[in-house]
Amino acid sequence: MKSEILYPGAFPMVRVELASGEHIKAESGAMVGSSPTVDVESKMEGGFLGALSRKLLTGEKFFFQTLRASRGPGEVLLAPTVPGEIVILELDGVNEYMVQKDGFLAGAEGINIESKMQNLSRGLLGGEGFFILKIGGKGMLVLNSFGAVHKIELKPDQEYIVDNSHLVAWSATTSYNIEKAASGWVASFTSGEGLVCRFRGPGIVYIQSRNPGSFGAWIRQFIPVSE
Amino acid sequence: MTTTDSPNALCFGEELPASGAPCFVQIEGHGLTITFGSESGKEAQETVPFSAFAVSAGGLDHDHLVLKWGEGLLARTLYLKHPDLIRAFREAAPDHLSQPFEQAAERVRQVRHRHRVMWASVGGSILAVVLGLWFGADLLVEMAVSRIPVEWEQKLGEAAYKDFLSHQDVMKEGPAVKAVEEMTQRLAEQIPNNPYKFQVTVVKSDVVNAFALPGGYVVVFTGLMKKADSGEEVAGVLGHELNHVLQRHGMERIVKNLGIMAVVAIIVGDQQGLIGLMRQVGVELLTLKFDRAQEMEADLTGLQLVYRAKIDPKGMITFFQKLSEKDEGRLEWLSTHPMSSVRADRLKAELAALPRRSLEPFTFQWSEVQGALGVSPVAVP
Repeated sequence: MKSEILYPGAFPMVRVELASGEHIKAESGAMVGSSPTVDVESKMEGGFLGALSRKLLTGEKFFFQTLRASRGPGEVLLAPTVPGEIVILELDGVNEYMVQKDGFLAGAEGINIESKMQNLSRGLLGGEGFFILKIGGKGMLVLNSFGAVHKIELKPDQEYIVDNSHLVAWSATTSYNIEKAASGWVASFTSGEGLVCRFRGPGIVYIQSRNPGSFGAWIRQFIPVSE
Repeated sequence: MTTTDSPNALCFGEELPASGAPCFVQIEGHGLTITFGSESGKEAQETVPFSAFAVSAGGLDHDHLVLKWGEGLLARTLYLKHPDLIRAFREAAPDHLSQPFEQAAERVRQVRHRHRVMWASVGGSILAVVLGLWFGADLLVEMAVSRIPVEWEQKLGEAAYKDFLSHQDVMKEGPAVKAVEEMTQRLAEQIPNNPYKFQVTVVKSDVVNAFALPGGYVVVFTGLMKKADSGEEVAGVLGHELNHVLQRHGMERIVKNLGIMAVVAIIVGDQQGLIGLMRQVGVELLTLKFDRAQEMEADLTGLQLVYRAKIDPKGMITFFQKLSEKDEGRLEWLSTHPMSSVRADRLKAELAALPRRSLEPFTFQWSEVQGALGVSPVAVP
């Protein structure tokens, strides 16, 4: 399986080359185009209950699509819904990533996806909701973001502070606490930052350069109210 | 050890990648043997004695065993995840490590316990709010309703009323309408400081039912009038319905349901829910069901109203008895107004306590009203 990011920047697309018989899981609706040798199947990853819990809990799509090169080698083109960068990670079987619910675009066959409940303060205040995806296994993982992706590398015990709605994915070896952005509550909210996540290494944190919630709030003021 | 062993741990250090270097850890009698695979196929192996380790718990959910050793540039941090590996380490570790190991495990247990307690308390308080709203909300609801202006109530009721009547066959004139108007007037005259202007409409339908909407809008079905043997019986039902309006029972129901739904919306966090909520109010208005306490209140105040209007209160009682005796399944007034026989008994007791009073008959003949509705006069005793 070979992959390549086309048109890097705000409106990228991924091209994945599949050998005969190989398949890739993708977010449902992510396929843009494919060779005629590739079949699209929709599959409830993790069985019916797994899919249901993922749908209900993380808001992820109920079905993932499986793109299988069943009649010979071929390629598929995949793209996310929102404008923003795509990153490709190669998982080694030991590293696991927590991915916020909109971050997953595609994964190779060896990738395992499960939904996982966060603890109360992270779920309530972290900005990703109570449920996130835990992705492990071995192979290629494709993530997408809103805006550009920035990679933060943390050495053991090194700390870094991230605004809570800018998270895309972070390694399972990192840990984080939710904190006020400034020392007082009033200052925290008047500064426009509110709550932040204090990450502690070792591990990698991927963040997105735009905040989907803020963008939504900004664009809402231009939408005529119908009801 | 060969390259076929897949990595089972991540090693971090100054010159190692930030995502951690995958390595294979094997637990031996004296310490750990850590094997790093490299892309060129060459392996680097390191053996670290147990004595060098500092033990702690780490990772996002405190479910990793973290081993640290070395200093400065050679400082290494090893994250073990697999439960079997952690168990093996625990068994093999010498005594001086078992104490910090247990401390780390204890801290993990504490963190997990704290999370469980927090979840339980949040779940408990949500449950308490819901239960509190459900059972103890009556006082709160009454307070809230008393602050709603009557004009609002009338607008709300009028909208639902018009909506309902647009699908119905309304009787505009005739003896039945005149009779109902007379009853309403007689009753309304006896209400001191009445803020409502009652509007009663007769709807052609065989269902034995009558209902009141907030703001003073009352609907009586011809089925109920056909079923009644006297004007006093219908006046009894009207007295009951008018009191639902006067006691603002409909508003109480709406406020109560709104409150519960608002709490649910807050918990679930569905912003679009508000529009659904407004729709729900409309539906609620047309399917208004009063709870038992409200029914009881409307019964008693209705009886008193009928009594003050010098209408025979026995009509109210006989009508309830009639409803409880005959073909119950088909009477809709019954389904929304349960336990007619019990209520009739209680009203009888209430009536017995009131002093006797001279009655003023209606100006209409009930048999004529029923005749106009198509009931054969033979059926009237």
